[in-house]
Amino acid sequence: MGCGRVGGRLAGLLAIEEHDVTILDLNDYSFRRLPPKFGGTALVGNGTDEDTLKKAGIEKADAFIALTQGDNRNIMACQIAKHIFNVPRVLCRTYDPLRRELFGSLGIESFSPTTIFAQLVKEKLLEEKPEGEKKAN
Amino acid sequence: MEFNKILVPVTGTTADDEVIKLACQLAKKSKAKIWTVYVLTVKRTLPLDVEITPDVKKAEEVLDHITIVAEDEGYEVETDLLQAREAGPTIVDEAVEREADLILMGVVYKRIFGQFSLGSVVPYVLQNAPCEVILYHQYTP
Amino acid sequence: MYIIIIGGGQVGYYLAKALLDEGHELLVLEKDAARTAFICNELGSVCIRGDGCEMATLEEAGAGRAEMFVAVTGDDEDNLVSCQAAKHKFNVPRTVARVNNPKNETIFKKMGIDVTISSTKIILESIEEEVPTHPITHLLDIQEQGLEIVEIKIPPHATTIGKTVKELPLPAGNTLSLVIRGQQKPFVPDEDTVLEAEDQIVAITTPETEEALETALRGS
Repeated sequence: MGCGRVGGRLAGLLAIEEHDVTILDLNDYSFRRLPPKFGGTALVGNGTDEDTLKKAGIEKADAFIALTQGDNRNIMACQIAKHIFNVPRVLCRTYDPLRRELFGSLGIESFSPTTIFAQLVKEKLLEEKPEGEKKAN
Repeated sequence: MEFNKILVPVTGTTADDEVIKLACQLAKKSKAKIWTVYVLTVKRTLPLDVEITPDVKKAEEVLDHITIVAEDEGYEVETDLLQAREAGPTIVDEAVEREADLILMGVVYKRIFGQFSLGSVVPYVLQNAPCEVILYHQYTP
Repeated sequence: MYIIIIGGGQVGYYLAKALLDEGHELLVLEKDAARTAFICNELGSVCIRGDGCEMATLEEAGAGRAEMFVAVTGDDEDNLVSCQAAKHKFNVPRTVARVNNPKNETIFKKMGIDVTISSTKIILESIEEEVPTHPITHLLDIQEQGLEIVEIKIPPHATTIGKTVKELPLPAGNTLSLVIRGQQKPFVPDEDTVLEAEDQIVAITTPETEEALETALRGS
C-alpha cells in the first residue's frame, strides 16, 4: 500500500523475485514509479477501505506492507489487514518513533525511518574514514 | 490621563516594581483604586482547582512584595491570586468584571529562538482589553 | 468529568459547546491555527493547537486524567489512532470515535474503541424511519451487549396476520417488547397476542438475527 519511492521500488524488487505483488495507491500517477517491466498488479484505491483490500486480494495475501506518507493511515491499514483479514505478516512504516513504540506494543510490526535514518547518518558521520574518502553510493 | 480603577497583573519579574510604582503615581491624582492580580496558570495535566504549594507560595511572595512597594509609595493596593488555564483571558475577564478603566502591565524584553517576542499574554490583552492598556517595556541592555 | 475532544471541526465545536453547557471540563485539540483561535474566541480557553495523535500533545493535554476521550475528526485513521493512544498509553476509561466510513466500525470495535458513531449510519437510519415502506427501522444500538432495538411494520397482506406470537418462529434471544396498534395505547405483547395488519412492533434483536426476525414477523 502506497506507491511512493519506497513502495514502488519494493514492489519492483519483489516482482523480480517472482512474488505475486499487488500495489495500491490513491493516485494512478504514482504508478509511474514502478519499473517499466513490473510484473505485478497496480490498483487505484484506498488501502484503509475493506472493499479495496478485498479487490486487491488481501484474503489470500501472505504479507501486507503499508508505506504511505501517513502514519495513521499505515497503522489503520495494518490493523485491518491483521485483525480482519488475518494476513500472516504485516509491516508498517511509522515515521513518529513514539507512535511506532505504542503500536509495536499493540502487535503491529513497524519500523520508523526517522529513528533508523538518524542513526544511520550519525554512524556514517562518526565513522573513521580512511584518507582516500570513498565516494558514497 | 485620569483613571479610577487600575488593574495591574504581575508575574514576579523585575518589571513588577516599576509597574506598580507607575500605577501608584497615576492613581494618586484621582485617588484611583489599584488591584494587583497574579495569575497562576495550571497545566492541563492537573485539575484546575489543584493546590500547587510552591507555586502558591511564590505567588504570595510576589503579591506581598508588591504591597510593600506600594506602601513605600504611600499607597494601598488590593491583591488577588487567581488560578486559571491561561493568563490572557483571565486578565481580560478580571478587567471586565471589576470594570477597570486601565490595565497596566510590564513586559521584560524576551528573545525566543533569536526573535523578539511579546509572548502570548500581552498581545491577547492588547487585543481583547475592555479599557485602556499601558504597557511598560523594561529596557534590558 | 474531564473530556478531551480531538478535532475542532463542526462536530467537535458543537459537541464542545454542548458539553460545556452541561458543566464538564473539556479540551479540544485542533491542528489548524485559525480554527483553534476561532474556538477559543467563542468558547474561552478550551482549545489548544496540536495533533491529537502525538503522544507529547496528549500528555500536555492531560490525557492521563481524562475520563473520556472523543475523536471526531473527518479522518477515520486519525480517530482510530488517537483513541488507541488514549486507551493504551494513557488508560482513558472511555473512548468514543466518529467513524466516517460505516464499514470501519468493525476494525474500531476490534481495536477496543468503546463507542463508535457513524453519522452515515445514523442518517441512513433516519431515512429508514421516514420511508414507510421500509420493513425494519433501527431505533437504538446497544453496542456493549451487541443488541439492537428495532421497529418492524406488519404489511397489510402479511402471511403472519392472525397468528399468535407463540406460533411465530422467533429467533433465539429475540424479544418482542411493544406493539403499537392504530390509536390504541401501545401494549406489551404476550404469547397469545394476535398480529394485525399495520401493527408496529418494537423488538430487541441482534445484528445477526434481525433478518430472521423480520421474516418471522412478516412472513415470506
